[in-house]
Amino acid sequence: MVRRIVGVVLIFLLLGVLVACAGQQAATPTPAETGGQQPEQPTPTTAPEPTQPPEEPTATAAPTEPPKAEPVTLRVMVVDYIPDKTDTWLEQEVVPAFQKEYPNVNVEFTYVNWGTLDETVQGYFAAGEGADILNLGSEYIAIYGDQLAPLNKYLGEEAWPDIKQFVPATLDTVTWKGELRGLPWLTAPRAYMCRVDLLQEVGIDKPPTTFAEAIEEAEKATIIEDGALKRAGIVTTGRLDDWQEYIALIWSLGGELYKDNGEPTFDSQEARDALQFMYDRRRAVYPDETIADLPPASGSRLADGTAVCIWGNLWGAPPVDDPIWEKIEFSPGLTYPEKYPDSMPVVQVFNDWLAVPAYSKNVELAAEFLKFLGSAENLNRYNKDFGSFPPRQDAWTGYVQETRPMQIMSDLMNQYGKGFADVRESPKFREILQREMSAYFTDLQDLDTTLENIQRDYTQVLQDAGWIE
Amino acid sequence: MMWSSYLYTLAWAAITVGFIVVSSAAVGLVARLVARMRGATLRQQHDTFAGYAFASPWIVGFLIFVLLPVLASVYWSFTSYRLPNPPQWVGLQNYVRLLTEDRDFRAALVNTFYLVVFGLPAQMVVALMLALLLNQHTRGEGFFRMAFYLPVILGLNSAVLLAWVLMFNANTGFVNVSLRALGAKVPLVNWLVRAFIYVVELTNAFFIGLQNGNYTLLQKILAAGFPPPHRVPLWLQSPLWIKPSIILLLVWSCGSMMLIYLAALNGIPREFYEAAAVDGATKWQRFRHITLPLLSPATFYNLVVGMIAILQLFEQPYVLLRDSPTVARGGYTVVLYLWRATFRFNEVGYGAAISWILTVIILIMTLAQFKLQDRWVQYELR
Repeated sequence: MVRRIVGVVLIFLLLGVLVACAGQQAATPTPAETGGQQPEQPTPTTAPEPTQPPEEPTATAAPTEPPKAEPVTLRVMVVDYIPDKTDTWLEQEVVPAFQKEYPNVNVEFTYVNWGTLDETVQGYFAAGEGADILNLGSEYIAIYGDQLAPLNKYLGEEAWPDIKQFVPATLDTVTWKGELRGLPWLTAPRAYMCRVDLLQEVGIDKPPTTFAEAIEEAEKATIIEDGALKRAGIVTTGRLDDWQEYIALIWSLGGELYKDNGEPTFDSQEARDALQFMYDRRRAVYPDETIADLPPASGSRLADGTAVCIWGNLWGAPPVDDPIWEKIEFSPGLTYPEKYPDSMPVVQVFNDWLAVPAYSKNVELAAEFLKFLGSAENLNRYNKDFGSFPPRQDAWTGYVQETRPMQIMSDLMNQYGKGFADVRESPKFREILQREMSAYFTDLQDLDTTLENIQRDYTQVLQDAGWIE
Repeated sequence: MMWSSYLYTLAWAAITVGFIVVSSAAVGLVARLVARMRGATLRQQHDTFAGYAFASPWIVGFLIFVLLPVLASVYWSFTSYRLPNPPQWVGLQNYVRLLTEDRDFRAALVNTFYLVVFGLPAQMVVALMLALLLNQHTRGEGFFRMAFYLPVILGLNSAVLLAWVLMFNANTGFVNVSLRALGAKVPLVNWLVRAFIYVVELTNAFFIGLQNGNYTLLQKILAAGFPPPHRVPLWLQSPLWIKPSIILLLVWSCGSMMLIYLAALNGIPREFYEAAAVDGATKWQRFRHITLPLLSPATFYNLVVGMIAILQLFEQPYVLLRDSPTVARGGYTVVLYLWRATFRFNEVGYGAAISWILTVIILIMTLAQFKLQDRWVQYELR
């Protein structure tokens, strides 16, 4: 019996070795398959690593037939919360157009949201496998820069002259150690937008521009019935983007996030005053924490009138060609002139971009897709549907010039814009801010404790990550 | 070229099968050698070889997929292992940080114990009540049995949980709209809802005080007094209501416990009730002195299994709270915190330490249950 089993074992081993050798042989492209010469132009059949050019084929194997295109799947991770026309456009127009040029390439989209992006992307990097193109936010270059493929040889000025059309500040967002690591995808400034018709109902004639005006507006414009919010004077607090607005407010008071030695500045007066203001404004909307929140939004809250003012980009606002814009006015930001005479409004500018991770086996092909997607026409179209600005200047046509909200936003961005960048260790920083700010807003702790906790925990995070010695 | 991926897959399949065969033969040969050294007959040696060879796929699988990862996680728990960097030995640092410095971990522990202390009894009581109702053998019993068990079949998957997110909306969600409507029609319901709100908020404010060492919120609620008539529960909106929301979900999905109780109820001999009735026992006395004691083995089973399940709770808080950063800390459970450390921040070593602390907690609590069962679990009437 033992002999039989040993015999079976040997047969299996032999089979395994034979098949493995066959697989190995088939997996290595022969000179005939690569055309017998090193490819000059990017071809989906080879998709070489940028740092590892294809091996020189031997001269003995002359090509006998044209190379066959192997099917390649390019996986693209995009941040998008809801199925809308941007997804439809990407899948039904962009991909078929790209496939005309690359018929053997299948493009698959994965949609995530900002709440799940970090865990998804970090999982990809940890596994060394995942999407070939990643949608990242403004502040991400400092986190993932080293793990992204250098793309100057594909997207630099020599390889792709179109890159000159991109706004230099947006290219800064995607550059790490002198190399482009991706391509800017959209530019979204954030400002305050208010329904003036609803403001006038409560005796206010313009959107707030100072802390005091904002609190007054929030208090007067809020409607509470039977212990439930029917209309919010302003909708920001308690949301995912609270922490970003907090940073904008610190900046508007003249504060910075980091000291010269790299430590955070949540022990500063600016950080204290900005957070105190946010708490006071929340109390103007929710007199106490027993008020039931607004129902889930089924569209823009500005359009349905459940919010009088919002802080955000145009994605959360009505479509730019909606007639409701006749009733909406902008405020670039809030200042505190009584205490900070030099305070200036800050329009936070977010640049989303598309990066190619170094683990991708299709770096060259991914760069080709980025170039295709990054044409002036495509960027104009996507950003129009998204309600944002194209990051290249020659794409600022059509809706950007013709619609009032885009015109105003571009003026505000030019005048008060500040990029949402250099936010160190942002995934953990965001968690710390959200946790501590929400505890403060819901009366679980006081202002001093909140600021102490933020300062201590963020300092620890920066120390662990090597930002502070 | 096109075939390369197929051949590659085939190669791996063949190698895997080959590995299983080789490892089985190796395990069998080692077992046979041991049997021979112990003086077994040739027949016994053959049987030993065959037995171990056929059992070895499971044994080898257990070694590779369970034991090795477990041992690796023990090692990692003593390291600073932040992917993609290699692990670095830090000794007890992870455990010290978890037990003495990490406030979020403390909050997660308190939250989890809260759910065990309040959620598990609620789940068991409702399961027992449903089982008693179904045990009446009334018309439509099959339908109700299916209806009560349906949440278990549906599973607490993301779609179901997202439906609950909508139903829990404090302003226009189904739960509060129903409570408002009932309260408007029946004043007693309104009063009961408010009393419920008062008790829940006081209890939770006390627990939050325990977590933070600050009882300001409790004082505020006491100062505000009994809730006014328009008050509704602020389910996923307020940190005071996060854990009650999760408990409600636990109660909703108590179908498995109900089935265990139902089976146990069916196993109680009718003669006991008849004899007790002849002796003049009331319904309550029969329930108290016959049903409850004879259900104690089922109660013990539900208690142990339910406790372990709640200590490992993940899906509910993960889905319910992912877009509610305002209240997230109030709903951290230990496993959610473990996931966050490991998969969100890639701190594998820290996550491994959390998992071992949780393992020890589960072990202690389960052993305590087994130790205490002699005092209250009855396998027959005394």
